[in-house]
Amino acid sequence: MDPIREHMLALTRRHFFGRMAMGLGTAALASLLQRAEANAASRTDVGRGILGSPHFAPKAKRAIYLFMAGGPAHMDLFDYKPNLKDWFDKDLPESVRMGQRLTTMTSGQKRLPIAPSKFKFKQCGQSGAWISELLPYHQRMVDDICIIKTLHTEAINHDPAITYICTGHQLPGRPSLGAWISYGLGSENDNLPTFIVMTPTWTGRKEAQALFNRLWGSGFLPTRHAGVALRRTGDPVLFLSNPDGVSPAVRRRTLEAIERINQQTYREIGDPETLTRIAQYEMAFRMQSSVPELLDISDEPKYILDMYGPDVYKPGTFARCALLARRMMERGVRFVQIFHRGWDQHGNIARDLPNQCRDVDQPCWALITDLKQRGLLDETLVVWGGEFGRTIYCQGKLTRENYGRDHHPRCFTIWMAGGGIKPGIVYGETDDFAYNIVENPVHIHDLNATILYCLGIDHKRLTYRFQGLDMRLTGVDRPVSPVMDIIT
Amino acid sequence: MPTVVRNLGVFLISFLLFSLVLSVPAWAQPAPVDFIRDVRPILATHCFQCHGPDAASRKANLRLDVADGLKRKTNSGRLVVVPGKPQESELFVRITSKQPDYRMPPPSAEQQLTEQDIEVLRRWIEQGAPWQEHWAYQTPVKPTVPQVGDRSWCRNPIDRFILARLEREGLSPSPEADKETLIRRVTFDLTGLPPTPAEVDAFLRDDRPDAYERLVDRLLASPRYGEHMARFWLDAARYGDTHGLHLDNYREMWPYRDWVIKAFNQNLPYDQFIIWQLAGDLLPNPTLDQLVATGFNRAHVTTNEGGSIVEEVYVRNVVDRVVTTATVFMGLTFDCARCHDHKYDPFTMKDFYSMFAFFNSLDGSPMDGNRKDPPPVIKVPTREQRRRMAALERQIEALEQKLREPWPAVDQAQREWEAAVLAELAKERAELALGDWYWVGPFGSVKRYLWSRKHGPEGKPIDLSQTFKTAAGELKWQHRPDWADGKVHTDLPGNEAANFLYRKIVAAEPRKVKVSLGSDDAIKVYLNGKLVFQKNVHRGVAPDQDTVELSLEKGDNHLLIKIINYGGGSGYYFKVLDQAASVPPELAEILKVPAEKRTDEQKARLRDHFRNKVCQLPELVEVRQQLAALRKARTDLDRQIATTLIFRERKQPKPAFILYRGEYDKPRDRVDRATPAILPPMKPDMPKNRLGFAMWLVDRDHPLTARVTVNRFWQQVFGVGLVKTAEDFGVQGELPSHPELLDWLAVDFQDHGWDVKRFMRLIVTSATYRQSSRITPELYRRDPENRLLARGPRFRLDAEMLRDQALAVSGLLCLKMGGPSVKPPQPDGLWFAVGYSGSNTVRFKKDSGHDKVHRRTVYTFIKRTAPPPQLSIFDAPSRESTCVRRERTNTPLQALALWNDPQYVECARGLAERALREAGATAEERVRFMYRLCTARWPDATRLAELIDLARDLHEIYAAHPDEARKLIAIGEYPPDPSFDPIELATWTMVANTILNLDEVVTKN
Repeated sequence: MDPIREHMLALTRRHFFGRMAMGLGTAALASLLQRAEANAASRTDVGRGILGSPHFAPKAKRAIYLFMAGGPAHMDLFDYKPNLKDWFDKDLPESVRMGQRLTTMTSGQKRLPIAPSKFKFKQCGQSGAWISELLPYHQRMVDDICIIKTLHTEAINHDPAITYICTGHQLPGRPSLGAWISYGLGSENDNLPTFIVMTPTWTGRKEAQALFNRLWGSGFLPTRHAGVALRRTGDPVLFLSNPDGVSPAVRRRTLEAIERINQQTYREIGDPETLTRIAQYEMAFRMQSSVPELLDISDEPKYILDMYGPDVYKPGTFARCALLARRMMERGVRFVQIFHRGWDQHGNIARDLPNQCRDVDQPCWALITDLKQRGLLDETLVVWGGEFGRTIYCQGKLTRENYGRDHHPRCFTIWMAGGGIKPGIVYGETDDFAYNIVENPVHIHDLNATILYCLGIDHKRLTYRFQGLDMRLTGVDRPVSPVMDIIT
Repeated sequence: MPTVVRNLGVFLISFLLFSLVLSVPAWAQPAPVDFIRDVRPILATHCFQCHGPDAASRKANLRLDVADGLKRKTNSGRLVVVPGKPQESELFVRITSKQPDYRMPPPSAEQQLTEQDIEVLRRWIEQGAPWQEHWAYQTPVKPTVPQVGDRSWCRNPIDRFILARLEREGLSPSPEADKETLIRRVTFDLTGLPPTPAEVDAFLRDDRPDAYERLVDRLLASPRYGEHMARFWLDAARYGDTHGLHLDNYREMWPYRDWVIKAFNQNLPYDQFIIWQLAGDLLPNPTLDQLVATGFNRAHVTTNEGGSIVEEVYVRNVVDRVVTTATVFMGLTFDCARCHDHKYDPFTMKDFYSMFAFFNSLDGSPMDGNRKDPPPVIKVPTREQRRRMAALERQIEALEQKLREPWPAVDQAQREWEAAVLAELAKERAELALGDWYWVGPFGSVKRYLWSRKHGPEGKPIDLSQTFKTAAGELKWQHRPDWADGKVHTDLPGNEAANFLYRKIVAAEPRKVKVSLGSDDAIKVYLNGKLVFQKNVHRGVAPDQDTVELSLEKGDNHLLIKIINYGGGSGYYFKVLDQAASVPPELAEILKVPAEKRTDEQKARLRDHFRNKVCQLPELVEVRQQLAALRKARTDLDRQIATTLIFRERKQPKPAFILYRGEYDKPRDRVDRATPAILPPMKPDMPKNRLGFAMWLVDRDHPLTARVTVNRFWQQVFGVGLVKTAEDFGVQGELPSHPELLDWLAVDFQDHGWDVKRFMRLIVTSATYRQSSRITPELYRRDPENRLLARGPRFRLDAEMLRDQALAVSGLLCLKMGGPSVKPPQPDGLWFAVGYSGSNTVRFKKDSGHDKVHRRTVYTFIKRTAPPPQLSIFDAPSRESTCVRRERTNTPLQALALWNDPQYVECARGLAERALREAGATAEERVRFMYRLCTARWPDATRLAELIDLARDLHEIYAAHPDEARKLIAIGEYPPDPSFDPIELATWTMVANTILNLDEVVTKN
């Protein structure tokens, strides 16, 4: 055992017990002082990641990914196509489709009639970006975000597509974006997880597509890099609360006994893993207070809460999750991903899409504004988007008032904001049918490379040897690069 | 040089050099460079991308992955490599060139050679550029057991290999662990459970010289052994209880899991274990077990997502089979060769798709239909079910026989009835005649599709000779003359299934007729192909639930009734409300034939009709009732019999093609079934199918299968394999730490008939295994991962062992084996948070009862998109893809789970109750009792004092808060023993909780 490391560990423990004497409320402050020591206890998930330091100066220290699961209809929200008014119920020209494969939900349809968006658009801000009436708060923040209209993917069904964008591969088994970030950069704090996931409620289509634990899983990376999914009911972090009848005092007393006996075991056996275990038990105990403190929003002033909209008062809503994401950023959580479901509008766009938008519109604006007013937006990357787009042609019954749309992989819209991203621009252009990309395509791998870039990571150099290959998030099947045009 | 000798040489060299790696970087050594260890990795990393096995991306037609490639002359006129002369070798000139357009790798390459790399290559050429084939592709030969200085330490040949290496390193083995440590270690390693105090006592008392070996033999004979061994295999086989993709619905496959357990317990030779799983269906007259075993190739994830393209899903399924087979049996990373020739190992796309051709001809759809039994499947009755079924069949057969035999009283009544009917027929022509019932079913499907979709005969003209293909096999129309009208029938088979009833109705004139119906559950009525009535309900069947008026045409009318069962029992009721003729039309025809001229078949039909429907003689009615009850019992029993997914070959194999870039819609050249070209070929007596493939895998010449297998068993016990990368024996994998030992074990394993129990015994009876696991700082610095094995294994218990241990020491563990997977409690909402709304596993419902919630963890239900947190928190894989090596992490979430998971709290209470009941009244006695249960040892004075102190402090707290104590002890499946004082029990529950969290308790020492 390295005597220096041992010494540092002893220091860590003294701080820990010393702090308990001071009271738990100071945990967050103390954690700042303590990080250096905690780093010495390598092999815990506290401390630096595998990279040691980033590949280049990071533009953002942390990130929030607002994932719209199901595939938002880009032409009803961001990708404005006024000329299509005249194309109502006309067939999509074959010259546009160009043999594009269809899902078997519409490949059997006799016609592929065009359904122009029924929603009104408005040109907004300095940038002059067009935004749908469904997103009035987005209309107010166009100058803070960068809209990319030319994302594309190969997958055309949900499970492979969402697995692809979240893990870089269409089949299960690979680490998720957040796991890679955790592996590469490690934690910025030592009493909260590095990567937190939230799965809020939604009000659009009730029969929502599934999520999978693999979307925030660690794949072949060590499982400590997996996202910790906060739960809507019960303990926010699994098994966080003491059982009924076990007070913090009881828990603390048993922890002391565990620590002392484990110290004894270490003296007898000499296994460094025992020391790691001691550190992990200490962190578990800290999490028992730091997580509830994180989730307790009673210290938020009313005007802040109101900014996020009325839903913020209901636990488990997207608005609440957005607020919590901001609190996590303040506490040094490296990566937060919110999966908002219900965006799979195969039919009844008129009813479901406005509901979906209402869930997220104001909270997104509030999140950006809130981060900005705290000076955090510069060091926080925010990403909004789904796994693919939707077809311009109608699935099912087409009327002026209502229609449905199938999955569309060839182009879809996302937006990014914050650390490293040029605000107030629109990037990429699609054709008149919001069907093909005509300028500046961005593959989902490019998006992931851009996210990593903003965090200071070269996507080609963050690798893990598995099955004889240096695996990376962005794969090896196509050339990939960050979208430098949108980076500051 | 003959291969054998060359291999030995290779091993010897790499063996010697490996030792250097552990202390000092190789390049710093003046010793000769080793091709395999030093040179090949550089070439692989920097050159193979463009000059390797992948023909498509090869530049300048130059290969550096084969020996011949070095001997070529290049455009410059230089040879690629001139042995002994770096400066004359094109390779060296290129890598040291200062000209950007000449230099290799090109400056644009992502990874550049370091100066050390260049130096290694220079010295390699200087030393004659020796070339060696990759070790893992050469058939292993049993090496001689090395000589060692201290033979007294060695107990078996394993130890000689280990010790020889330690002696070269200047290290010596650790002393043998004490008996308590040893029995706990070996009991965990062979059964996954801790020893009981009685077992520890017996072992401590046993001072015979072979006491330990006797202990090992007892453990190997325990049924717990198979349960423990199986779970490692189930990771590799990616066994789960749901389909794993999209809806992630329930999949019934647990009979496969039970078979794996049985195979280990019965010590099925491992070559057979492999053959059955890959090709049991192709064996002559396969047994049920051999068919169940083929589930291995069906265990991959599947989908039925709306919009999926069937061909794409088909390719994905087959690719999973190929990749899993390559990883699990051969340690090959075959997935790379799916889109391009392998970049590092000598495998081509042709190899990949030639292997694909073995596994692509499943006789069933690639889509899972969201059902638990996507075909092909097989029914797997338990022994008890089989016995009951046979008994029922016998009883039914006896009664049916009785109904066929002459029965004077009944026959007399029949003659009277015939005369009466004839007389009636003569009087007036019947207006309406009802034919006998015909039945076909059950058609299984997803619940909601049962109603919305057409099944079997639905929507088509009725043809009673038609047959229907279903998951459960082929269905035929069955004649049911025994189904009488006006009675409730409850013997329709199937769970979540549709059954169809058909009868002909002949009307003399067009007319309307009212019928009264009943059904369990939903019902649809078709008359002459038109839907005339439907009701989607969940209900039990009773008379007269619905009334329907049928508009009959003149002549033949076809009545088809669909009965949908949404679960549980199923049945129907039918009665014509208006007057109808007393006999069906076809019987009327028979009656008109004079009795002596009737054929046997005609006689039988009359007899059946009379005895089944007309005759009211009490003795006959009793037989009829008995028969009905037995038939219902038979259908009920049949419903309970589990199915499991199996592999069955279609009659015409599907052709296979090289898929350009691995894309399903870009087939190129057609390929035949073939094994990878670099490996020894299949022998002439091996058929060109999965059976031949499996035989090839376990053939003596195969260089990988036995090595990969013994390496995994080694890993299971020592924590790290002899080849650390258990999933990759290829060029990029790690070299074996003890190459000769690996080969010795592999050959020895085959020499002894692939006998797994013998092999496990060999490992755990070695002196190497029996060492103490104490780590000195010096030893830790020299060998942190314990690859040299100068000490015994020590690492955290796996998820399953942790939970099973807690259940075992608390006395809660239920040792019932086999059967459907169980759902012990887990926090609410984990499935719902991710599940598809329409999935049948979207809501988790905890099981209840000791035999469900306290079972061994190998029986826990695994939903693959949201696996049980108690497993995944401790590194268990999700079973979405194959896993032959688990990570082993140490995280705060693990501490939280062991502290607070209600099931662990319940176990702590169980342990406390045992202490209060079985130990003495003093704190000391109780601490000693609990500590020994959990560690197999008695606590020393320090630990004793620490835990007694803890108990005293906790008692003080709970005495001040008795309500808290009561709340704590209420947690669990059953209420606490009321005879205990809540404060006492709460105190000791938390002491137990503390002990269950100790490092020495969560670790195999």
